[in-house]
Amino acid sequence: MRLTMFRLLLPAVLLVALVGVLSSCGGGDDEGGGEESAGIPSDFKAPTAAPDNAKEGGTLTILNEGDIDYMDPGAAYYQVTYMVTLATQRSLMGWPPDATQPVPDLAADQPQVTDGGKTITFTIRDGIKYSPPVDRDVTSADVKYAIERSLLPGVPNGYTAAYLGDLEGFKEAEQQVAKDKTTAPDISGIETPDDKTLVLHLTRSSSIPVIQALSLPVSAPVPEEYAKEFDAETPSTYGEHVTFTGPYMVKNDSSGELTGYTPGKEIEIVRNPNWDGDATGDFRPAYVDEINIQEGFSDPTSAAQKILDGDSQINGDFPPSKTIVQKVATGQEFSKDQLVAVPSGGNRYIALNTQKPPFDDINVRKAVIASSDREALRNTRGGELFGPVATHFIPPLIPGFEEAGGLQGPDLDFLANPNGDPKVAEKYMKAAGFKSGECEGSDCDITMVGDDAPPGLDTATQFKGQLEDLGFDVTFQPVAHDIMYTKFCSVPAQEPQVCPNVGWVKDFNDPQSILQVPFSGDSINPSNNSNWPQLDDPKINKAIDQAVTITDEQQRAETWGKIDQDITALAPAVPWVWDNDVLVRSADVAGVANLFNGEWDLSYTSVGG
Amino acid sequence: MLRYIVRRVLWGVALLFLVSAVIFLIFYVFPSADPAKLRAGRQANPQLIEQIRDQLGLSDPYLEQFARYMTQVFTPFDWFGAAAHGGTGPLNFGRSFQSNTPVSEIIYERLPATALLVAGAVVFWLLMGLPVGIISAVKRRSALDRTTMVTSLALISAPVFWLGLVALYLFASDVGLIHVFPGIGSYLDADSFWAKCWSLFLPWLVLAAATAAIYARYLRSSLIDVMSEDYIRTARAKGVSEGNVIMRHGVRSAITPIVTLLGLDVGLLLAGNAILTESVFNIPGVGREIVVAINRSDLPLIQGIVLFGAFFIVTFNLIVDIAYAYLDPRVRYR
Repeated sequence: MRLTMFRLLLPAVLLVALVGVLSSCGGGDDEGGGEESAGIPSDFKAPTAAPDNAKEGGTLTILNEGDIDYMDPGAAYYQVTYMVTLATQRSLMGWPPDATQPVPDLAADQPQVTDGGKTITFTIRDGIKYSPPVDRDVTSADVKYAIERSLLPGVPNGYTAAYLGDLEGFKEAEQQVAKDKTTAPDISGIETPDDKTLVLHLTRSSSIPVIQALSLPVSAPVPEEYAKEFDAETPSTYGEHVTFTGPYMVKNDSSGELTGYTPGKEIEIVRNPNWDGDATGDFRPAYVDEINIQEGFSDPTSAAQKILDGDSQINGDFPPSKTIVQKVATGQEFSKDQLVAVPSGGNRYIALNTQKPPFDDINVRKAVIASSDREALRNTRGGELFGPVATHFIPPLIPGFEEAGGLQGPDLDFLANPNGDPKVAEKYMKAAGFKSGECEGSDCDITMVGDDAPPGLDTATQFKGQLEDLGFDVTFQPVAHDIMYTKFCSVPAQEPQVCPNVGWVKDFNDPQSILQVPFSGDSINPSNNSNWPQLDDPKINKAIDQAVTITDEQQRAETWGKIDQDITALAPAVPWVWDNDVLVRSADVAGVANLFNGEWDLSYTSVGG
Repeated sequence: MLRYIVRRVLWGVALLFLVSAVIFLIFYVFPSADPAKLRAGRQANPQLIEQIRDQLGLSDPYLEQFARYMTQVFTPFDWFGAAAHGGTGPLNFGRSFQSNTPVSEIIYERLPATALLVAGAVVFWLLMGLPVGIISAVKRRSALDRTTMVTSLALISAPVFWLGLVALYLFASDVGLIHVFPGIGSYLDADSFWAKCWSLFLPWLVLAAATAAIYARYLRSSLIDVMSEDYIRTARAKGVSEGNVIMRHGVRSAITPIVTLLGLDVGLLLAGNAILTESVFNIPGVGREIVVAINRSDLPLIQGIVLFGAFFIVTFNLIVDIAYAYLDPRVRYR
């Protein structure tokens, strides 16, 4: 008990210290759009533009805890992997650091949308060449092949079906793959009338999410004549022979085999000799000559300390620990601007299984949310800098955020108090039939499966205590993160009543990518399920299905904002933070963060300043 | 002796087979996470997961999967679908589910780091542990003896990861109070052999500390027993100098348990037991790799590393037994 109390109190103590320090910084306000809406004090706002005196040259070192998920752009899906792909690949649409909407990258201009949003036409820029050994110009057929190969099981892409499934001929292509797993199928809805033109025909007017999805690495061109032999292997070995179109590339040999990538150890990134940013209208300045990603730094405190003390280093996939945040925030040992925060575009919430008692009763769910101290949950991540307390699901900077209620959230009594409101909780428990205002009976013996390591473990432990205060008898099973998902929380048949360590990061800056997969009943899968509350409300499902096809931006934001409010009102989960990514850099690094993936932007960051 | 060695080698092969079977049972039959689901990624549809499971050979019967693996490791034949699932052998340990890199390539890539870490640590713990053990035995119950034994107890009790972090925060050139030794991750920056050695100086000391302490205590205890033997008294009576009595007669007999320990320790460390040291100092060795493999349910990589580890343990045990025969003429193998 004492240890639990200590661990519960410690984040609060740190938070008080941090807030005390931050409040003396003349911090910004929490209202309004932009990073202020993410609760980031102005002293810790990440730069999203390179300084005027950014230096060319030098080597930038990135310290990572783990590896990227896939080097193959057709399979890449981690935010930290996007750090590499944004610098090495040119997708149809791209993300300059300060962009909140994608801009043409491989495409010469914004696409033409016709036929009521069912036809999208791209023109490919001239002069974009593949890195050695392919050494030729990119054509529209390469983008067609890139999308089609992502259906192969040997190229495990997690989002093509979700966002590009409206392409004409997509279902037929999936059937082709079921018969022949080593040859990329033909999607009839993708046409390439000439080398520079790509035309996409959709079955419905879902052009907005499709264009957004084409900002992801899946649309990075892949030369079929080069990649075919690798894609014929099971699984595809193209990831060991990737060719690049961005300002940088992973070191390779004359056959194209990536010699600079040792999985789990390091990635050596060098300049792409065939890249000409000026001639091809690339927005990336590409200051540094080399980028070295070093992996395996398992202790975030010592790794962050190494960055802060050292030269030309930045962090990759790990946030600095609370100890480091506090150290930098005081400004005594390091310059405060060596630590910045940027909205990640993600949320974290505690899923309540709406298909299992007692959480099949909306009043019980509302009571649990009402009683939750969401600020304490947020503080298990590290405090205010790590994100504002969430009041709904669309994060800041995503269209629909303000329409859903912004930081204050929708007008719902069970979410009104971020520190919890026992009276409101009691009201809802009584409405659920628990006369005492607390949970009673065998339905209150519940199971929670969560992370076995901090900070997820801290969050789960914190929430367990809050549930027990409401009368629940909680059996908490801490397991490894991957087991939590693949054996329990993402398998509806095995899912416990509570999954405390779930959340969703946007796939792109459209609210559909935040709400559709996690909350539509149509997306519930028997395994690898990401609708953790298993919410299956016909009205919500219909609203989501209809909202996908809205082509007017403002109407989209309003509609999805309303959907977010409606989902929140059904209380399927306890939203507790909109994540910020906290980044650290060495003093000589002019770091630039990208708002798209909430990481340092390697094409804009420079060293030697 | 030759017959003995051949018999031991054959038993070693049988042991490796048994180890493979046990590992297969633990990780394939009773897996933690589902590797097909992990590879498929979030929101993958069930068809994709099944296709990936099929691709990885995980939908075949367990016995067939195990037979295929053994075929790929020990034979060049295309039995049980070996060619279609990772290729034929011998010494084909399959491909990592995560990176699709051949497991043997991953192990060979990481083995030098672990080998250098272990080699240096062995030198240090022998240089530190043996003299301390001898002096403590000879000067039993002296102030020096008591000091060394208390220190060794402290070093044995201190968790190696704690010792590593303390060492970093005290002496590392990047994060330490006193900038003496290369710090965390410096092995990755080292280009030459000597630069790598220098980057491992602190890890060597950390890894050697507890083992040196154990060896000192063992040798002290063993030497005290040996020095009370009749032949030691006889040697002294014959006028042999005390130094020669201790080193040529006493230590030579007393060191045999140390030889056994050394073989086991080296084998275990090469098998991945240096994982905590590798993690703290970010040394890309075998130990760290197996932890990552377990967390990701990368079954071929787990199987391959464990098999390699078992091979080292069996081999070093054999070397130790042969060394035993050399050290102790009374020991003869048939």
